[in-house]
Amino acid sequence: MTTTYYDSDHARKPLASEVSNLWNHRGLIRLIVTRDLTVRYKRSTLGVWWTLLNPLLTTGVMWVVFGNFFRFDIKSDVPYIVYLLSGILLITYFAQAVLASGSAIVNSAGILTKVYVPPEVFSVSAAIAAAVNFVISLAILLIIQLITGVGVPWTVVFIPVVVLAMLALTAGLGLLIAAAAVHFFDVLDLTGVAIQLIGYLTPTFYPLAFVPEKFQWMIKINPLYSYLTVFRDVVYGNAGAELWMWAYMIVSAVVILVVGVYLFSRSWRRLVILL
Amino acid sequence: MTEQAIQVSNVRLEYRLSRSNIGSFKEYAIKTVKRQMKYESLWALDGVSFEVAKGEVFGIIGPNGAGKSTLMKIMARVLPPTEGRVIVRGSVAPMIELGAGFNADLTGYENIVMYGTLLGRTPERMRRRAWEIAEWADLTDFIDVPLRSYSSGMLARLAFSVATDIEPDVLVVDEVLSVGDAAFQLRSEERMKILIERGASVVIVSHNLATIGDLAARAMWLDHGRCMMAGDPNEVIAAYKQTVDGGAP
Repeated sequence: MTTTYYDSDHARKPLASEVSNLWNHRGLIRLIVTRDLTVRYKRSTLGVWWTLLNPLLTTGVMWVVFGNFFRFDIKSDVPYIVYLLSGILLITYFAQAVLASGSAIVNSAGILTKVYVPPEVFSVSAAIAAAVNFVISLAILLIIQLITGVGVPWTVVFIPVVVLAMLALTAGLGLLIAAAAVHFFDVLDLTGVAIQLIGYLTPTFYPLAFVPEKFQWMIKINPLYSYLTVFRDVVYGNAGAELWMWAYMIVSAVVILVVGVYLFSRSWRRLVILL
Repeated sequence: MTEQAIQVSNVRLEYRLSRSNIGSFKEYAIKTVKRQMKYESLWALDGVSFEVAKGEVFGIIGPNGAGKSTLMKIMARVLPPTEGRVIVRGSVAPMIELGAGFNADLTGYENIVMYGTLLGRTPERMRRRAWEIAEWADLTDFIDVPLRSYSSGMLARLAFSVATDIEPDVLVVDEVLSVGDAAFQLRSEERMKILIERGASVVIVSHNLATIGDLAARAMWLDHGRCMMAGDPNEVIAAYKQTVDGGAP
């Protein structure tokens, strides 16, 4: 059953309403997440295997270009392919999560204009689906680490911290973009460009030392640099993550999530009529 | 009869139509700076008030564009009123534009579970009920077939069967009685009547005045977002007919 008591004067209480809405719709969220993961590849022959194949192929291309033609010296104990793949997996996760979460509400307009479902359910589900996708795709990274002799250190138990921080960050950004996209569809195109820029400002395929010293602050100020360094540190060890990076990762995740949910909550009542 | 099932008081709903036809952020920014943003307010509902008692059937009639569907969506919680207040007590089954969220790539079974969950039921309950829902819609042979192979009639039957597989306190119905072929229409009308007889409060919108006359205990005539008349359905229908036929009997 839907609601048992509805009063249009009861406004959303930012944060509290969203938390209870998401909890009350956890069954729906689970359904949407599984549907996202299965429907995406429903018409392809290889199906869910694309989750693993996609980043592997991208990495293959970049490995040929940057590992052989340009030859970056990453000054690390790990082979370039491990460095590269770990970067691509995390950046792809970020890009997919933000785009999917940001477009989830305009894409669900057909539902939201017909039945009552709290709209944040769709954005958050998309962010969760991207997180699950990322966790599945980690399998290839770990396999390649084993093959190349890097091994799998015990610190991988901290991977969930990175995944959860990224989930908070992308859901917060996603809600902001989703609200803006109801007003202006262009926001989604703009998001694609912004993600690309952030991607290049993150040392996925090049080492930080490659960047001239006077520009390095531009990379360090990008939260994804902290995410990636922490991720590399826990997934294959000694990537040089410092305490401030852990702090920056967690603080940025919490701040963006709270700001995103708050602004979304405040603006939704004016937005729903525009869908 | 202490509390009303539905209370709608002084509800107004504004659609903002921008004359300047702005689609992009850049244009918006430029026009806002130049103060060229011109909105034209369209009040789809302009001060509507009514109450529906528990177990009462309330009919709404009026021409196209009168605001009937908007009013339905406000009661179904899909749209918040711009002004005024709506209170609905009890579980609501919105029967407006059925089949929201149907996915052509998913099977009948998967869609039954998804659609029912979107309507606010639990996935567990939907999995339990899926077979009976398909049975009632006469679609058990197609339950594992993707929806893309369904005909439009089959889709309508499936949607209706899922939407009515409940015992709601409040039913908000928007002309959905007319789905499927003649035989299915009979069965769906029967099912609606059973839901009503179980004591649900009903708000029904229809262009079929005979349906309203038969079912409703009270009726309201809506035009241009305003209540023209409310009360005994036969009187309201008669008055409405006069304006439509220009007074002809």
